Amino acid sequence: MSSVVLKQVEKAYGPVLAVRGIDLVIPDGKFVVLVGPSGCGKTTTLRMIAGLESVTSGSIFIGDKDVTNLEPKDRDISMVFQNYALYPHLSVAENIAFPLLARGANRTDIQPRIDEVAAALSISQLLNRKPKELSGGQQQRVAIGRAIARSPRVFLFDEPLSNLDAKLRVEMRTELLRLQRELSTTAIYVTHDQEEAMTLSDIMVVMRDGLIRQMGKPDDIYENPVDTFVAEFVGSPKMNMITGKLEGNRFASPTGVVTNIQSSNHHNVIIGIRPEDVLISGDVANGMAGRIEIIELLGPRAIVTVKCSNQRITAVVEMAHLLGLTEGLEVGVNLREGRVHIFSVEDGIRITS
Amino acid sequence: MSSLFIKNPEKIRRWNIAGNFILAGAGIAVASPFLWVLFASFKSGSQLNNPTLIAFTPNLENWKIVLNSGIFQSALRSAAVGIITVSIAIIVGSMGAYSISRYKTGGSATRFGILAAQVLPPAVLVFPLLDLAYRLRVNGTLTSVIAAHLSLVLPVVTWFLIGFFDAAPKEVEEQALVDGLSRFQAFRKVVLPQVGPGIGASAIFGFVVSWNDLFYALILAPGNAATLPVRIAGFNTFRGVELGAMSAAILVSVIPVLIASFFIQRHLVRGISGGAVKF
Amino acid sequence: MSFRLRMMGPLIMIFLAAIGYPLLSSFALSLTNYKITQRNATKFVGLAQYKDVLQDRSYWSSLTVTLIFIITAVILELAIGLAIAMALQNQKRFRNFTRSFLLTPMFVTPIAVGLMFRFLLNDQLGVIPALLNKIGINYDFFGPSRAIYSIVAIDVWQWTPFMVLLLLAGLESLSKQPFEAARVDGASPFYTFRRVTLPMLAPILTVAVLIRSLDASKVFEYVYAITRGGPGTQTQTIQYFTYKTGIQFYRLGQASAMSYLLLLIVISIVVVLFHRIEKVRAME
Repeated sequence: MSSVVLKQVEKAYGPVLAVRGIDLVIPDGKFVVLVGPSGCGKTTTLRMIAGLESVTSGSIFIGDKDVTNLEPKDRDISMVFQNYALYPHLSVAENIAFPLLARGANRTDIQPRIDEVAAALSISQLLNRKPKELSGGQQQRVAIGRAIARSPRVFLFDEPLSNLDAKLRVEMRTELLRLQRELSTTAIYVTHDQEEAMTLSDIMVVMRDGLIRQMGKPDDIYENPVDTFVAEFVGSPKMNMITGKLEGNRFASPTGVVTNIQSSNHHNVIIGIRPEDVLISGDVANGMAGRIEIIELLGPRAIVTVKCSNQRITAVVEMAHLLGLTEGLEVGVNLREGRVHIFSVEDGIRITS
Repeated sequence: MSSLFIKNPEKIRRWNIAGNFILAGAGIAVASPFLWVLFASFKSGSQLNNPTLIAFTPNLENWKIVLNSGIFQSALRSAAVGIITVSIAIIVGSMGAYSISRYKTGGSATRFGILAAQVLPPAVLVFPLLDLAYRLRVNGTLTSVIAAHLSLVLPVVTWFLIGFFDAAPKEVEEQALVDGLSRFQAFRKVVLPQVGPGIGASAIFGFVVSWNDLFYALILAPGNAATLPVRIAGFNTFRGVELGAMSAAILVSVIPVLIASFFIQRHLVRGISGGAVKF
Repeated sequence: MSFRLRMMGPLIMIFLAAIGYPLLSSFALSLTNYKITQRNATKFVGLAQYKDVLQDRSYWSSLTVTLIFIITAVILELAIGLAIAMALQNQKRFRNFTRSFLLTPMFVTPIAVGLMFRFLLNDQLGVIPALLNKIGINYDFFGPSRAIYSIVAIDVWQWTPFMVLLLLAGLESLSKQPFEAARVDGASPFYTFRRVTLPMLAPILTVAVLIRSLDASKVFEYVYAITRGGPGTQTQTIQYFTYKTGIQFYRLGQASAMSYLLLLIVISIVVVLFHRIEKVRAME
């Protein structure tokens, strides 16, 4: 168990900077998720922490030790890869034993540990099989078992769940979280799936173009995204963005006019509103006028897409309020008071009023 | 591919029949020379003068002549040359191929060099090797043949292995690095086992190349150190009596390779489509 | 030294020793009048050997013989190989056995193949002329202007399997979907072959042809076993001619110049081949 610190870490591939100066402090025992669209540098960052990629400049510390130039084996980490990376020629038990044996453990001494790990992941009955005889979910359990068999200072996860089907993914997510809480080992997890990031992380790090755009508690980021990129990236369905002019608390745009914004700004701005904060009423004169295009039912709630002149606005509506709404209906759209995010038109940065 | 041509069942049937005819024809073309030589190896001198004779009393005279002609010593020599050449080629080639595949060592230039080395006209290399063998007083020995065969086998084997390493997943060895192995240990304990079948196929292929070579062996080690192809070339005569012996000698060289080819064939098709000679 | 270079080290050393040294030394030899048999000292003669070789009509005639050999052999191997590869892919039962069996000729010692066919095709003692005789055809396989094509036939027998191997691997790596689309679109087998199979296979065909051509340029054993270049010089291929110059006449300097000229031709072909491969690699 250790903290992990990155100081001005850069990675260049020829003239291309994949990671452009990252500073990151990960406290001991926390679960940190690096999230962002593909090509944002999150995987490269993780691989630099693992020692699988060299660092172009900057330094990386695990605990108090500068590991920047150490081989992966000397960093005391374990890692789970997207496609599991099990040793195809070894049995499940041998796979789990591998990191222990590789560091010179005695085969008979580690048997209890293997059994313990297998039990914790409910794969005890699979110990004698070869990886190719296992399902994807079972392979992933073995990969995780191998990672926890030794007690490393840091766990690294490179999109470990993205090869699993949707149902299994949610199950494994819960299990991973449970394991990490039990072991309280520092974990760094990379994913492109913001929902996974939200549910897993103590600290969420949103990356884009090789830079950290925002980091913090997931709910903090959700509530106070620093710019339009983060605002749109986090949350599903994604935040509605409307460009218009703000005068006092009146916001006017080609999409329509709303009058309940709390702001003293007089600017051309982008306002952002989460779908669950969009209010739909049968009264066309109330707020922005539009017509319901599509209603997608999701069990307890529904996603309603409203076309307001030039733009589509998405709303998440609780089942109780869905009554009377039908596709094709003319409606009025309002924004819940105090829930509007205001961003600069020029650079998309959040404006605090 | 039959399923890809379905328009109506009649057409598939005709397509399959045509395919089977082609295969049957090819099968006969491949088998009949072997069979005929097999027949001839059991014929006596006078029976050989009647080439279409099929019903005859087989005798073992030809085989006795061949087996007493030192052909076994030659076969052993060929096997020794092949095994030593291939062992060196596999050890050195797998290390280099891994470096080229995994770390792009030397970029395109290395890959080009290895490809170009495979098509060097043997005549370019053989005279300096002969000359050097004279100077080092190893002319007429197997040492010079092994050196020459390395120039033949090493580029092919390395080229094959690059393809196999390219096709092996990177993550597994990265996992091994994280799990506590050094880079060389990861190569030896994790990467090599993964490409095991590829190494086996390359080794057999390299062995066959060495086993079959006449040109280098004939020039560098004629005389007392004759390898099997050189020995067989020595049966190149047309006095009727020795035709039978020549047939037996041909079979002695063919049989081990046929057995090897049955083991290697499936890996070769997979290896080539799996990246070994990926074009 | 970094790990990657340490791994390359042994390979580079053996390459330098077994290929680099002979290659350079062969070039040095080609600039001299070195003969194994000569008493007086070897002289540096510059490019004189090259000039002699280029003016030697036998050299050009062996290049021509080799070229005719390559072209006829490779075209036949390609056509027959493609037919067999497609039939093999189409095959349902005994797949592994058929494949192993049909590939065997390429593994057989070429000198044994040469002797085998010398025997089978022999005028008096060979079974094939004997059978032809029975149906009234009298054909001398190694007679004037025929011998070269008999050598071609032997090469086809031995090396079509290699073509089959390359093409089969190519066919099996093709994506199935375009074929299924063609099927849904109602294309006839022949149309599918011409418009889907051939274009998709084109890169592999090109490379297979180049590999076989370069390999065929080394043809030696069949000539050595059967015709020794004859009748006349009609089957004197470049490799055999070089062997004769160097070994029978001991003119190592001249033989080196001859093989270096051939090397120039071969290397320029390889450059084309390599560009093709790199292009395909870049596409993936």
